[in-house]
Amino acid sequence: MDSKNDEALDIIVTNVVATFRTRCHLNLRKIALEGTNVIYKPEMGKVLMKLRKPKITASIWSSGKIICTGATSEEEAKLGARRLARCLQKLGFKVRFSAFRVVNVLAVCSMPFAVHLINFTTNNRPIASYEPELHPAATYRIKNLKATVQVFSTGSLTVTGPNVQNVAAAVEHIYPILYECQKPRCK
Amino acid sequence: MSKAGLKCPNCGSSNIVNDDLYSQAQLVCVECGAVVSEGSLADDPLWGTGLERVKEICRILRLNAEIEHLAQTYFRTAYQHESFINVTLQRKEVLAGCCVCISCRQRNWPITLGTICCVLNAEETLLGGVYQEMLKILNIQAPFVSVVEVIETHVHEYKICKQDVPEDFAEDPKVLTKRAVELVELAGESWIVTGRRPLPLMMAATYLAWQSLNPNRHRLRFSLDKFCNMAKVRKRRAAATRITELKEVLCRLGKELPWVTEAVTESDVVPLVGDILKYRHSLLARALKTHEKALEANCAQTSTLNHPTDEVVPTQLSESRNETESTSSVVQLSPSNKGENQGDKNDDQSEEPAPNWGKKVLFAPPCVINAKRRRVERRVENCTGDEEISDSEIDSYIRSPQEARDFALMQKMLSLPNSEKS
Repeated sequence: MDSKNDEALDIIVTNVVATFRTRCHLNLRKIALEGTNVIYKPEMGKVLMKLRKPKITASIWSSGKIICTGATSEEEAKLGARRLARCLQKLGFKVRFSAFRVVNVLAVCSMPFAVHLINFTTNNRPIASYEPELHPAATYRIKNLKATVQVFSTGSLTVTGPNVQNVAAAVEHIYPILYECQKPRCK
Repeated sequence: MSKAGLKCPNCGSSNIVNDDLYSQAQLVCVECGAVVSEGSLADDPLWGTGLERVKEICRILRLNAEIEHLAQTYFRTAYQHESFINVTLQRKEVLAGCCVCISCRQRNWPITLGTICCVLNAEETLLGGVYQEMLKILNIQAPFVSVVEVIETHVHEYKICKQDVPEDFAEDPKVLTKRAVELVELAGESWIVTGRRPLPLMMAATYLAWQSLNPNRHRLRFSLDKFCNMAKVRKRRAAATRITELKEVLCRLGKELPWVTEAVTESDVVPLVGDILKYRHSLLARALKTHEKALEANCAQTSTLNHPTDEVVPTQLSESRNETESTSSVVQLSPSNKGENQGDKNDDQSEEPAPNWGKKVLFAPPCVINAKRRRVERRVENCTGDEEISDSEIDSYIRSPQEARDFALMQKMLSLPNSEKS
């Protein structure tokens, strides 16, 4: 914490994925025909419904399970999910909003320095893994937070975790480790 | 083991070995490769699976016995594991390739996964997945392979010796390798190597090295396409971009050469490459000084601009600093002090909070130099989403559990007086 000094690190949450159930069978054909902003995918057995505000895309299965993606915060995800359930109710299904759960949160962050990935990986094996031919970033998995951080040599990070709190904690956890392995600015 | 007394019908040498790699044993001449024994012309040898495949790959890549033995051990161990025992033949084949790759790396014999991909003719994504899984199962680590180690093998693939091409275009592989290595090292320092695939870069380095070793009119006019055709190498599309990037770096260093008076452009930097590489350390130092001077001049001009370096921001979830197309919420991590003034937070959001380190250094990757600016978006006034819900819609409104209970209670209360009245 102290090593951050006077600069604030911005963690920008770019995607929140949540699921919920409607507790009733949904007729996908009816949704596809009568719903607005829907795309029917019969080969995959689902309907995609997009909401304008909040900007959310939902995959709807006939069993009543719905996955919402594209929200930028947990509250927005819940709001979007409820709005979606209301849309379905308007179409005539006996929807009951239940089992709402945020499954995944994706955030990006940028360090004010470049990172020497090879040093970083050698210092942190086996938690960190880096295969330059396969992917340009080093992957760091934090087990207790269940979060994965991908570190790029330019200093950008992408963090995925089960909720926003874990994601913030993951960045706090990894900052000092990255600070040690930063690339010196000039030779 | 050579068989005594046998002579090759093709070249007459007596160096015949027994090749028992495939299911049929063959007697092959070492000098010319002719098959001596009769009736063993299998046009399509069966691709062996498992250990046979490991042996085969090692023979193709001409690896020594130690690496082959290690690869076989790894393969045997990995094969017993549940994730590899009931998989497709293709996956097993790829596993064999991965075992060879990791043993090579551990014995300091640098080969890339790309080479294995070519040998097996497999997909890169499949290879990558199997490789990661294998590392996890066997719980082993491999030292990193740098581009510099691999480039020697790469350069030797190019057919530009005196026998293959006209005198004017021929080049000694050793000299070519040396210069290509220097170019790659320079590329490494200027952010051209990191995060990019090694092969196009090596191709670009070889091409520029070849051009600069003898920068006559013919070579300078020779395009990358023609060069690859001549050297019988498959051209990579990305190599052209790498050439441009390398030339840009070389130009920046070429400007610092004391005996160069005219401006250095991309088209005439190639003859100077030899000198640039020879004195590259001192040129880098000079370029850095020039860059710093330019930065100071810039800073002096814009000293009135308020840079928020000492501000302290409390932790909060805020929705400022949105992109134009998609909104994103921002979580700010506070430094040691909390509870300081909220202050000019809104003003500062229009700039980048963390100083862009790309501006301060001499070389930086393109994504940092042209960092995306996240612009502040005004809230859309017309649709807030919290509009009044009309009476007709209220019936379909989803109630939270508390509201449902309240509603039920209210209904009960309403129905009681009615029943009493009537």
